[in-house]
Amino acid sequence: MRRVVVTGLGVVSSLGHDPDSLFSRLMQAESGIRLVSAYGSVGSHTGIAGIVDFVPRVSLPAGQKTDNLDRISQFALAAATSAVDDAAFEFTEENTRRTGISLGTGMGATSSIEDAYVQVLLGDANRVKPLTILKVMGNAAASHVAIRYGLSGPNLSYFCACASSTVAIGEAARQIRHGYADAMIAGGTESILSFGSFKTWAAMRVLASIDPLDPATSCKPFSKNRSGLVLGEGAAMVMLEERESAKRRGARIYGELVGYGSSNDFTHITMPTVEGQAQAMTLALADAKMSGDDVDYINAHGTATALNDVTETRAIKQVFGAHAYRVPVSSTKSMHGHLLGGAGAMEFVIAMLAMKHQAIPPTAHLDTPDPECDLDYVPGQGRDDQPVACIMSNSFAFGGTNAVLIARADR
Amino acid sequence: MTTTLEKVREILARKYSLSIDSITPESTLESLKLDSLDLIETLFDVEDEFHIRIPQDRKGEVPIVTVKDICDVIDKLIAQQGTAQLAGAQSQ
Repeated sequence: MRRVVVTGLGVVSSLGHDPDSLFSRLMQAESGIRLVSAYGSVGSHTGIAGIVDFVPRVSLPAGQKTDNLDRISQFALAAATSAVDDAAFEFTEENTRRTGISLGTGMGATSSIEDAYVQVLLGDANRVKPLTILKVMGNAAASHVAIRYGLSGPNLSYFCACASSTVAIGEAARQIRHGYADAMIAGGTESILSFGSFKTWAAMRVLASIDPLDPATSCKPFSKNRSGLVLGEGAAMVMLEERESAKRRGARIYGELVGYGSSNDFTHITMPTVEGQAQAMTLALADAKMSGDDVDYINAHGTATALNDVTETRAIKQVFGAHAYRVPVSSTKSMHGHLLGGAGAMEFVIAMLAMKHQAIPPTAHLDTPDPECDLDYVPGQGRDDQPVACIMSNSFAFGGTNAVLIARADR
Repeated sequence: MTTTLEKVREILARKYSLSIDSITPESTLESLKLDSLDLIETLFDVEDEFHIRIPQDRKGEVPIVTVKDICDVIDKLIAQQGTAQLAGAQSQ
């Protein structure tokens, strides 16, 4: 069986665009969440979210303009460029044929869609910007990454709501394992902070209320006083390579992607189930040929909704047994917010950094224990000097998709 | 008075970072390294600049190959608007 290793990491986040400094800020429980206003032509909406302050500049092929890229494509390109640079991967005519892109997004290019509808419904019905389709089509972000590097391998896009980028990474690993590609750029991107998408999420009544003392602390996963999820934006990408070819070129290896499990909760469009989540974790462990005792850190889905946090806690107990009470489980969404389709990739990158730095990032703002959530969620501050040789990253989506990734130190 | 050609050259030069001298009436869009997507974006900007609307359906019209072709489309539409306004004024 061909093995898959992670050789590069890239992020665009509300806590900066450098993976190591993002990780150190998370360790200090620093939050990227703040008050934000989204403006529409019929009003404004003030809420809280993890906002990306600026989009890093990326070099585009001749003739391409960033104006023609939705915010999610700009994020994806910037994160992909960081991951490729981090991997020191050099593209050649030969290896581009064996390299692909696999990208997840939950909502897609919402701001460009909204712009087009505002133009056509409130402005002049004949005056939509001509290249709108090319900005909003579902595979635009992935395609821009492929164009940037001249990739002619698989070009895949996944829409599995909050599990999108976890699926994108897991399926990318399968492309390499089964010999369809030797390298894949994989991850996810999201930006849902337009007026309309803010309103639609608010209408779902799943968003956290704003903490009156400090808005930055509004997302409180696993805490009794949690009130819901906080939206975030950004992108995260990893460079995946077939292990032998990565070794041959002397690549620095963050770890091996050993397990991927996916399952579906079929009973309801939003209701998670313990069985479905446990099934995905069990499948990932089986894929990795590991037992739950081998896992040193779980980056939880941990959305801070009552339904998720209790269900996920029960599922972890069902899969891990007694080890469930020993293994640190944290939700970094407390700090970067919920990146929806980008969340899984962001959290997988953070878990890889936990392995790199031998440190466990915390669940921030967990100050009120919930009897139904009784695991070690690493409340408050991160923990340095921890042995982290194997990580699990969980993503559980509206619509039912559950996806779990496991990576371990290369050996 | 700025001519149609001058304005079109300015739009193209600004939009695609081209030297204005490189844009002549006979320049083909291809020679300026502009593709079919660049053309539809340019027509969008042209509509704003000249306060015209270029019909979506250009069936039977001369295909746009050169800078002069763009100018001809604009001048024809402006002339039609002028005629329509004139007709409107006379009928009042």
